[in-house]
Amino acid sequence: MSDLDSAVEQLRQCRPIPESQVREICFKAREILIEEANVQIVDAPVTICGDIHGQFHDLMELFRVGGDCPDTNYLFMGDFVDRGFYSLESFLLLLCLKVRYPDRITLIRGNHESRQITTVYGFYDECIRKYGSANVWRYCCDVFDYLALGALVIGAGSSVQPTRLADGEDAETKVREAEDEVEIEVIGLGGVVTRQMSRRDAGMINSTNLTPSALPHLSSSGPAGALLTGVPGTGASGNSRGIGNANTPTNTGGAVLCVHGGLSPLIDSVDKIRLLDRKQEVPHDGAMCDLLWSDPEEIDGWGLSPRGAGFLFGADIVKQFNHLNNLTLIARAHQLVMEGFKEMFDSSIVTVWSAPNYCYRCGNVAAILELGEDNSNAVLRSGGEEVLFNRENTRRLASTYMGGSMKRGGPGRRYRVFEAAAQDSRGMPSKKPMPYYFL
Amino acid sequence: MSMLPPPTTLPTPQNMATVLPTVVDGGKSITVSSFKITTRKLPILNAQEIDAMTEKLGIAPPEMIFGNNIVSIEKIGSEEGGWKIEFNALDALDLVDKTGSDMLKVAYSAAWQKQREKMHEGIKEVVKPFDWTYSTNYQGSITGTKEFTPTTDQIPLDKLRRQDPILFFDDVMLYEDELADNGMSILSVKIRVMPARLLLLARFYMRLDDVVFRIRDTRVFVEFAEGVVLREYQEKEDSYENVKKKFPPWRDDIPAIMRDPNQMAEYLPLKSVKVEKLVL
Repeated sequence: MSDLDSAVEQLRQCRPIPESQVREICFKAREILIEEANVQIVDAPVTICGDIHGQFHDLMELFRVGGDCPDTNYLFMGDFVDRGFYSLESFLLLLCLKVRYPDRITLIRGNHESRQITTVYGFYDECIRKYGSANVWRYCCDVFDYLALGALVIGAGSSVQPTRLADGEDAETKVREAEDEVEIEVIGLGGVVTRQMSRRDAGMINSTNLTPSALPHLSSSGPAGALLTGVPGTGASGNSRGIGNANTPTNTGGAVLCVHGGLSPLIDSVDKIRLLDRKQEVPHDGAMCDLLWSDPEEIDGWGLSPRGAGFLFGADIVKQFNHLNNLTLIARAHQLVMEGFKEMFDSSIVTVWSAPNYCYRCGNVAAILELGEDNSNAVLRSGGEEVLFNRENTRRLASTYMGGSMKRGGPGRRYRVFEAAAQDSRGMPSKKPMPYYFL
Repeated sequence: MSMLPPPTTLPTPQNMATVLPTVVDGGKSITVSSFKITTRKLPILNAQEIDAMTEKLGIAPPEMIFGNNIVSIEKIGSEEGGWKIEFNALDALDLVDKTGSDMLKVAYSAAWQKQREKMHEGIKEVVKPFDWTYSTNYQGSITGTKEFTPTTDQIPLDKLRRQDPILFFDDVMLYEDELADNGMSILSVKIRVMPARLLLLARFYMRLDDVVFRIRDTRVFVEFAEGVVLREYQEKEDSYENVKKKFPPWRDDIPAIMRDPNQMAEYLPLKSVKVEKLVL
């Protein structure tokens, strides 16, 4: 077994590796990362992950749910460190995998991959605690400076292969054997398919229905409530394939841009990201800063954050950017979402959050996003004759609960939702608050 | 924006347990000398609940919003009708300044603004200005007709320092925000119930890096036998610069101290204090 493989093994046990080995791995990682572009090109299929924040055992859970590396091709959108108790082990494991399987895992930079932020939010302290000096922290920070700023996923298919449902499934989750294109599939806790949406009818989904009982108003309205699926070619979508407009590109051959935070007013094309000099500490302003820090918001155009620094961007900005750059979706992380993922702006952008029970107390679930390969030979069902369930009801629900617009163009995507790793495997102090005589 | 109506009832721990991860303990209750103390601890709000709360408040809730959590102290079996003080996130956030009239800015704001003005003059509008540090002077939500009146009485610390058995203890988070990694803002409520009395501490702590530290404490003390309720509200605040000077130079865990409201309470000067009393 090579040194690298044994380091991976040791880190998988959540045991830190010797300082000398960290140094060597960071050096090798830097040699690989320096060759990578600011915007790495990644071929589908790929599994896209959001913030990890040092929650090592939950990262293991992520690999269990999403498949191991290198079997699964991974793309992590940054924020590996800080907040959690095992930033070091989490980041080093990902880094070792990067060195070991450079073509099977892509790491892009989050706003926490920065010297300044890690000194305040835990990673620095953790390195001092575990090694007695700041050396390891320094090696890691040097790697941070070389991480890509984004990634472009190409060759993603317009649908996902629907996951078959187990027999004896709850009627409310029972989904028609989806023979037409499944655009969105959500695999909830315990590997249960909680949602399949066909390309035509799905509106914006924000995953409020992780389980049927979580949305009583949906499940009580009969099969249509749990089944937002429609019939191709019936016009239920109000938008036929190939007839799009500037705001809603229907070109499913486009790419998916992955970035930690969001867009920047200084960046109107992916090419402009490529021109940045990324090999530096994250600056306090400018395009590189925005890509790692900005947030989508329900506004028109660009806005300033009330905090006095940072940008917010609205649906029009995203749609225009996607159109101009032939993107079908922007995937980003950076913001905690109770449901693990949240699509916004007619599914033109999605937030993926991969740290379940964030900070060991939020009780949120996490998600990863799987983009399948393009199987452009797939036969489109002609449809039309098969009217299933109450379409009127379906449409109403879709527009009421899923955000309105029926216009679609995103890639086929499967969200796998998962919970925090079992408490006992985490080796942490009990969650029960300890009584004490506070005053 | 979701068009869902706001939920009419809060989910109970029982029915939430079926739909949400079971990583949080649901809370608990105890009754001592006709005072019923209840805590409820549930996960952060989901997307619909956040939408509903945003609508009610008119501002975006903090990133980690434990909107279903509560701590309450209730006098039961009283002839003159019940009395209850409850701490919850919604009411606490309702007291946050929603106009943005007195908005703090992150430390590097001036530099950032200057840079921005050079680059893009077109973007001028601050989106929904409000006090994004979520500073609140919340002192609990009261139901019942009895009202607090100012008093010169003090919470009897000597009695509270005694190591009486603690019958009930809980620590409940109401909200927390990382201020986009510019510090932290946190409101949590601790309660301990002893055989003869109880103490509740609702502590708001806010650290805006390189700008300011702020603590706002509400203490509720109940002496069961006399039915006396004392409520003390304190504000503590100082500039980041001043506080940093007070840290002992030999401490190498300053970041950890700055994350811990309980330690920070010792470093911040008292700005104001008031005590109120009520007899049940």
